[in-house]
Amino acid sequence: MSEAERKTDDDLHDGNSSRRDFLRNLGIAGASALISAGAPSESMANAPDTVSETSVQEFLQGHFVLMSEEEKKEAIARLEKRYSVQYSKKTTVADTPAPEGVLFGYALDIAKCIGCRRCVHACVEENNQSRGEHAIQWIQVMKIPKGNFSFSADRLDKGYPENSAVGDYGVQVGGNAYTPAGGLSTAHAQNYYAADEAVPDKDFFYVPVQCQQCEKPPCVKACPVRATFRDENGIVLIDYNWCIGCRMCQLACPYGARRFNWGEPELPAEEMNPKTHYFGNRPRMRGVMEKCTFCVQRTREGRNPACLEACPVGARKFGNLLDPESDVRKIIATKRVFRFKEEMGTYPKFFYYIG
Amino acid sequence: MFKNSLQSTPSIVVVALALVIAMAGILALVGGLNGRETATTPAGMQGKGRTAPVVTECFESREGSTSVTRVENAVPRYGYPNLKCSKTTQAVLWYGDPFDGTVPMGEMPDIRDGTRGDFAHAFVKPREAHLTYFNMGPDGCRTCHDGRTVPVPKSKSARPLAMHQDIVADSMQLQHGRGALWCLDCHSATDRNKLIDHLGNQIGFNQPQKLCGSCHGEAYIDWRAGIHGKRIGTWATGGKKRWWVCTECHNPHTVQANRFDPLLPEPPPPLPRGMRNANHERVGQGVH
Repeated sequence: MSEAERKTDDDLHDGNSSRRDFLRNLGIAGASALISAGAPSESMANAPDTVSETSVQEFLQGHFVLMSEEEKKEAIARLEKRYSVQYSKKTTVADTPAPEGVLFGYALDIAKCIGCRRCVHACVEENNQSRGEHAIQWIQVMKIPKGNFSFSADRLDKGYPENSAVGDYGVQVGGNAYTPAGGLSTAHAQNYYAADEAVPDKDFFYVPVQCQQCEKPPCVKACPVRATFRDENGIVLIDYNWCIGCRMCQLACPYGARRFNWGEPELPAEEMNPKTHYFGNRPRMRGVMEKCTFCVQRTREGRNPACLEACPVGARKFGNLLDPESDVRKIIATKRVFRFKEEMGTYPKFFYYIG
Repeated sequence: MFKNSLQSTPSIVVVALALVIAMAGILALVGGLNGRETATTPAGMQGKGRTAPVVTECFESREGSTSVTRVENAVPRYGYPNLKCSKTTQAVLWYGDPFDGTVPMGEMPDIRDGTRGDFAHAFVKPREAHLTYFNMGPDGCRTCHDGRTVPVPKSKSARPLAMHQDIVADSMQLQHGRGALWCLDCHSATDRNKLIDHLGNQIGFNQPQKLCGSCHGEAYIDWRAGIHGKRIGTWATGGKKRWWVCTECHNPHTVQANRFDPLLPEPPPPLPRGMRNANHERVGQGVH
């Protein structure tokens, strides 16, 4: 949203924002009243004051995108203060804006991928996911027996009519769940293949799946509170503080790319990445959704995503889809490229190719 | 309308205020229950934190190719180490500083491709430091291959070797080039610290792409274009990047058997609650 638009929005909702301020101030008063009344739970009694105070304000804050500049600054200062205390290290929460004239795209070579899962764990190192019992990983590597992929253009079209009587809803009319009419079949995919056998297995190919950053994201349509949205670079982001944890987006996503914090995230302080972004890798709380953001904390500052940097075979490429000289555009121009579950009509900006 | 009535009746204001305060209190409590307020103390975190030792000796790409050492606080701004490695495989997973230990790539031949001969922002990690035999003596390979200890061979054709079985098990069966090539087609016969191309140009071990590219033109063009091979750093076209050179990923001595040597993967994701094993995934191995 541009500066001008934001201003008018604020003007329109002037009464609203003052009500919010009023509520927030009351919230602080209420919380301190609670504490002084001797009502706090055990964990609250142990917690430093900064943590409990900031969390009440955090709970009452609005949608980050609709906040004024001062409110954003306040919200970020609050978070930085809380994280720095919680993880005993200086933590920064960036609010780096989306670079202009950029549409982020990703390309992944399934002919090169060896299924080593380094991208999965690099992502965990970078993005402060929960470890331990409630471990969360944003990337899933599928090990698929060879023969479950067809790239013939005439087969790809089969079963998915362009213009049928009922309209183009991506309804599969040819093939069945086990032998689809074309494309990539995940019917025999193994997601939990063991770590004690060397990869790549000659009879299999490997397909890592993460958020596909759809141009028409079903998750955004499903979110009842607009906590998840598409940013100017085409990245689907989440305001973790605005998320109500209803998991509608998880149901809507055809790629299984969204993860839910069922428990209190377990993030050891020594493994925590202190360089965070508000919409990216800042530590999450229980009861909110999270997913791949193409490392928004890195890419908005010009750096490549962590999964790309971990890939030992160079199967991952990232760049600006609007720049014809970018690696991703060159790949789309010269290689055999397909998109996962193309028939869903989600228009992903994650391109698989055969190099 | 509502506003007016509020102003005119102070008692309602009091009631409304009390309600709002009560609501805020409940909200704060609910927040606490929901875990919005992550009230875990630092001490609690340390108690939970696993005390697995930090892995400091790691490798990039494939094992034995490029060894690296973790250095703490290499990026003081964020307290980052230069890299983080896997606790299970010692593979590098994450770079705090993508340009750690790199040098500018330097001059490359202009072949009128997309790079237009501009390699100002291309950085590479020198290879010589990672070659076992090269680093056995101060003179590199010439420590033994000095012309006296090991005489300079008169012919480039294949013959059984007494040494270097760890690199090529059977020197008569070198498969690179499907039997058409032998060691001295790439290694200089007179200066073993150098590589040599088919035109007799000596090439350093730090720039293997100049040698490999003379035969593998297609891969070389793709590599220069940024399609083949790995690059880290910035994503922007023309931005500062670290390029991986050919031999950081491919082992030229075994490349015919494996384009990339097989390696052990990282551990699988934890099984969903209630699932005892993942055997169901392998039923029939694709036959169902």
